[in-house]
Amino acid sequence: MTAAISVSGLTRHYRGHRALDDVTIDIDGPSITGLLGRNGAGKTTLLRMIAAQELPSRGRVLVFGANPLENDAILRRLVLIREDQTFPDFKVRHALKAASWFYPNWDGDVAATMAGEFDLPPDRAVKKLSRGMRSALSIVIGLAARAEITLFDEPYAGLDAVARQLFYDRLLAEYAEHPRTILLSTHLVDEAAALLERVVMVDRGRVVLDAPTDELRGAYTEVSGPVAAVAQLLADRPDRPGQDRRRVAAHESVVIAGPLGGAELQRARDLHLRVEPLSLQQVLIHAAGRSDDESSDSGRSDSGRSEGEHSQSERSERASA
Amino acid sequence: MTNWSTIVNVGRYHLTQRPVYLTVPWALTVFSLLINLIVSTAVPTSIHTAGLATLYVWMFVGGLMATHRSLPFGLALGLSRRSYYLGTAGLAVALSAADAVALTALYALEGATGGWGVDLHFFRISYLLDGPWYLTWLTSFVGLGLLFVYGMWFGIVYRRWNVTGLAVFIAGQATLLLAGVLAASWADAWEAIGDFLTDLSAAGLTGVLAVAAAALFVGGFTTMRRATV
Repeated sequence: MTAAISVSGLTRHYRGHRALDDVTIDIDGPSITGLLGRNGAGKTTLLRMIAAQELPSRGRVLVFGANPLENDAILRRLVLIREDQTFPDFKVRHALKAASWFYPNWDGDVAATMAGEFDLPPDRAVKKLSRGMRSALSIVIGLAARAEITLFDEPYAGLDAVARQLFYDRLLAEYAEHPRTILLSTHLVDEAAALLERVVMVDRGRVVLDAPTDELRGAYTEVSGPVAAVAQLLADRPDRPGQDRRRVAAHESVVIAGPLGGAELQRARDLHLRVEPLSLQQVLIHAAGRSDDESSDSGRSDSGRSEGEHSQSERSERASA
Repeated sequence: MTNWSTIVNVGRYHLTQRPVYLTVPWALTVFSLLINLIVSTAVPTSIHTAGLATLYVWMFVGGLMATHRSLPFGLALGLSRRSYYLGTAGLAVALSAADAVALTALYALEGATGGWGVDLHFFRISYLLDGPWYLTWLTSFVGLGLLFVYGMWFGIVYRRWNVTGLAVFIAGQATLLLAGVLAASWADAWEAIGDFLTDLSAAGLTGVLAVAAAALFVGGFTTMRRATV
């Protein structure tokens, strides 16, 4: 079966700046994938190229096995919701109506219900909506379109926590009812972590991490407590570079790869140390830091994907060592 | 491929902004007509005015808005650039045709009432619009369509390359014009050109404008393929 989205060697330059650098990923559906990375990492550029809104400098994008560029049959099956969407000078109901004309699976009831939940005033001009309201409008369009590929690029700028929770709930409900391939780019990693089945992390235009979320959850453990106790626990472990240590007065916290083994865990308890798996967000921050180290140490391997997997397996190897 | 229902729906998408395409241009045209009527009642002689230009300028503005302001959301609706462009051009044709019908009716009315009773020439423009009704319709249709398509091209350039692109685009056209003038001078062709223009009937001019509109359509389409949002 052809992957829903297949990107290979994708590169995009902008006047001396490389927004995307040799990115290769396959995304199969139905699934919910998180596209994570810092500001300017290349997330939006990648999504725009998948949706054929931007043209690649080099490389290839395939959506359902075909180039989406100028391909109405493919584009109709795909929706990209952007944080910075520019709307024409019209009203909320016009935006929803226009979307209903073009998306074959558009569900008017879902749109009406969600617009109600987000308190979107149908007769208000889009340009008079607040930032959050405009995000809500985009979200309604993105979910009601029921497109087989649904791309969300930071969809909740300006949305409050309640509205964001509404978005997550709705996304999951919609996904359960009509499974599709969802790619969600976000900064709010821990908030979205429960939704994500897979995480793709982009840094400076490259894929630096690509792994199932479950694998990442146990990837690192933080041990914290009195300096002496921490040292005692970790005495058997080789003190490797890259191990993240933070020390405040007599209190130290250390991030180690992998979960603690049964015996170690018991010892940690006896030493009254706090043992916590790193949250997804912390794992990613850690991974981003490591990708910096790796790039300065040894340069980067060619393909973004293999690099992600490589560093992943390397990490688990070190963990078991 | 682009199908007819998509073309029609792109037109409907634009017409959700009715003020830009219908209300404002016609309100301003009617306003301009009223001003001219008031002036005409005060002046004893017959008055020829270019107030009709309002409608034409708004066609240009409409075309520009359609491919600048409305393009990003249009492409976010699962449309290819080609579909969007053809649909927008479809709107240009439909809108120009309908507006031309209204202009022809008003032209006839103005003629029948002796220039609204005050000998005002607002819809009747000597040379251009003073033939039979069908020529009036045709010339209006082509003229309005030309400006809309011209505006579309400006909109795409502005969307893709911003102000810099717009400046280059305008400078390019000025250079082209200058090259034409110089070429005509070097070839000593001014007399021939003068004769051609003098001999050109309104129908002939309409033909020339139609060719120009087709060229602009092709130019815009070529640019559209490189548009990004």
